[in-house]
Amino acid sequence: MTDAIRMTGVRKTFGTKVAVDNLDLALPAGGLYGLIGPNGAGKTTTIRMVMSILFADSGTVSVLGRASAIESKDRIGYLPEERGLYRKMRVLALLTYMARLKGVDAPAAAKRAREWLVRLDLAKEARKKCEELSKGMQQKVQFASSVIHQPDLLILDEVFTGLDPVNRRLIRGLIREQHQRGCTVIFSTHAMVEAEQLCDRIVMIHRGHKVLDATMDEIRARFDPRTVMVEPADPGGAAALAEVPGIQSVSSSDENTSVLEARLAAGLDPQEGIRRIAAAIPVRRMEVKRVTLEDVFIDLVGASGGDAPSRADIRGEHAEAAHA
Amino acid sequence: MHKTLMVAWREFTATVLTKGFLLGVIMTPVMLVIVFGAMSMMRGLKGPQIAGEVALIDRTGAVAAGVEERFTAAADARDAEDRAAKARAMIDKAGPLAAQGGGMAAAEIERQARERSASTHLTLRVLPADANVDVEREPLARAQIKTQGQAADAGGQAVSRLALIVVPEGSVAAPAAGAGYAPFSAYFAEKLDFEVQDRITGRVREAIVEARLAGDPRLVGAGLTPSDLLAMVRQPKVESKTIDRGGHEKDSVGEFRMLIPMGFMLLLMTAVFTGGQGLLTSTVEEKSSRVMEVLLSAVSPMQIMVGKILGQMGVGLVILVIYSGLGVTALVVFLHRANLISAMDLVYLFIFFILAYFIVASMMAAIGSAVNDMREAQTLMAPVMMVIMLPWLSWFLIQRAPNSTLATILSFVPGINPFIMVIRLSGSEPIPSWQIPVGIAVGVATVVVSAWAAAKVFRIGALMHGRPPNFATLIRWIRMA
Repeated sequence: MTDAIRMTGVRKTFGTKVAVDNLDLALPAGGLYGLIGPNGAGKTTTIRMVMSILFADSGTVSVLGRASAIESKDRIGYLPEERGLYRKMRVLALLTYMARLKGVDAPAAAKRAREWLVRLDLAKEARKKCEELSKGMQQKVQFASSVIHQPDLLILDEVFTGLDPVNRRLIRGLIREQHQRGCTVIFSTHAMVEAEQLCDRIVMIHRGHKVLDATMDEIRARFDPRTVMVEPADPGGAAALAEVPGIQSVSSSDENTSVLEARLAAGLDPQEGIRRIAAAIPVRRMEVKRVTLEDVFIDLVGASGGDAPSRADIRGEHAEAAHA
Repeated sequence: MHKTLMVAWREFTATVLTKGFLLGVIMTPVMLVIVFGAMSMMRGLKGPQIAGEVALIDRTGAVAAGVEERFTAAADARDAEDRAAKARAMIDKAGPLAAQGGGMAAAEIERQARERSASTHLTLRVLPADANVDVEREPLARAQIKTQGQAADAGGQAVSRLALIVVPEGSVAAPAAGAGYAPFSAYFAEKLDFEVQDRITGRVREAIVEARLAGDPRLVGAGLTPSDLLAMVRQPKVESKTIDRGGHEKDSVGEFRMLIPMGFMLLLMTAVFTGGQGLLTSTVEEKSSRVMEVLLSAVSPMQIMVGKILGQMGVGLVILVIYSGLGVTALVVFLHRANLISAMDLVYLFIFFILAYFIVASMMAAIGSAVNDMREAQTLMAPVMMVIMLPWLSWFLIQRAPNSTLATILSFVPGINPFIMVIRLSGSEPIPSWQIPVGIAVGVATVVVSAWAAAKVFRIGALMHGRPPNFATLIRWIRMA
């Protein structure tokens, strides 16, 4: 299978700051990929280089089999993180214009623009100016403008920011639909839950370097589960739990304060760990914690001594709270 | 190219099809026509009348009779005719009428001058020669200048004193050798029409001169009457003709001609800067509303920039065509001055518009792409301001002497050269023919360099947010991109 994107030894600097360093990346066509990393990791710079909006200082980038995205711009859909609409333009005219810019002929552009507005439940807003739309509606229009020309490659940078749960689900469905149509989707985010739910494969960038490039299954296999979730029957269970041999540390869970997370010592089999805990203290509920992308992210960013983002950051909860 | 044109078309329609543009550009001339129409209608109505008395203290005793003669109804009628004739002469001086019988404007100006005289009723009151100036001056402070229609027949109501004239001793009798005649003093009520003041002092001046001539023994000895002498010093209107290069006689276009270069420069500036300003605003807006990156995913920075520049050029052209069309129509239809503008003038206007526009637009696009908002843009506007200010400061000097060294040098200064060339080319004096292609070549070279630099700044600036760049940064961008 050909690669939708292939980057070899790519480096990009801004003055003294190295944004991307020696990046090799090969993303076969047809996949749904997640590009993750903390803020300032180099995700947007990578995407902009793929889009030929920025140019690499060294290394090569090929997109859809061409030497640069310029040669295949009409086959690429792009929703940048920093996105906006012409405030004074009417919604239908804007979508038609974007489709035209992407090489769709005039009658087809107008027809598709109308179809997309119906699909996104925005048919009534067709004659409105973009500035009259709510933020969520604007997001949907922006999404439509990135897929209206039926691209072969779709790059979405923080697509879910600012969407309510209903629209989040709607957009998620539309992304899957594009994928099923055969479109390669690259999805940049630091909302791990979405990445985990949607993507076949995850690429993580940190400080300009690629630190992870694997399928979700490979990640789960590689990041062996070392945490057991324990809900003690007695209130004083935490102290007793810490005494159990082979338990390295105990902390309370982020999600539920009555649940404790017992970190197992290296080399201890999780099943053996469960047996030892059950023998030592009365428990109401206990399970081996399934490794999440969030754990992997924290592990990788934390291990490299970076400014590890909080879990709320990673889930995009701050962004959500801000838009609530 | 296709996408560039799409960007250009959007840019053009997004600017032209807005209420603001339609009101500002299309409605302005329409409003002007309406205002002029309304004004000419209002002229038909009776204007406010000026009525009152002019008091005279004649300390010489020789002037009062002459002044009295000049404040009769017959004198008023003569005066009105005189003024109409003067107005006519003034219009003719500006350039003889192309169509025999006179244009509407000329007739209108004459009619106005006549009416203006007719609407003023001044009566003279001669005060005793020893009257106290301070006392007689007092009524001026209480004067009622304009009374609508009824002033003349105000009956028992005291007539307002509008002016006090004091003719001192020594203003008529021949002074000792080396000394001059004593001047007369005139006191006016506040806000009295300047033209009326002028008329009063003029009549007094005439009467004094007449008294001097009548009383001067030298004149009497020479056998001359005062009117003989006055006739000798009066000069009828000069008839000026221009001989063109073919040796043909043409009507001299006079002072009206002076306004043409200024009109052309204003036209050029309005068109160039409406387009340029539109480009700046829309670029800043695209950047601040973050549409820019979405656009960049579909078209290259160069396509966006060129498209936007072309779109706004269309806007500038709309203005140029509307305003120059209206200007030419006004000259031909209302003022009968078709000979003031040649077709070549308009061709040059168009060529230099394109050059000036591309230079200004390149700067505006570069500035717009480099900043985050309009406030930051202002700090980088210095070069653009220079392009505006230099032609403004020098247009008068240049149109007076289109072939001076200053004018020639400025014609080849990059940036301002299209404006200077337009002033010179539309002026009355032909410029050396080699300067036209060289001027155009300088303009084209400036366009190439500024567009090249702007493209570099645009490519980097379009995606740059945060601290706005200064000139040094812009130059670094030009070098590195």
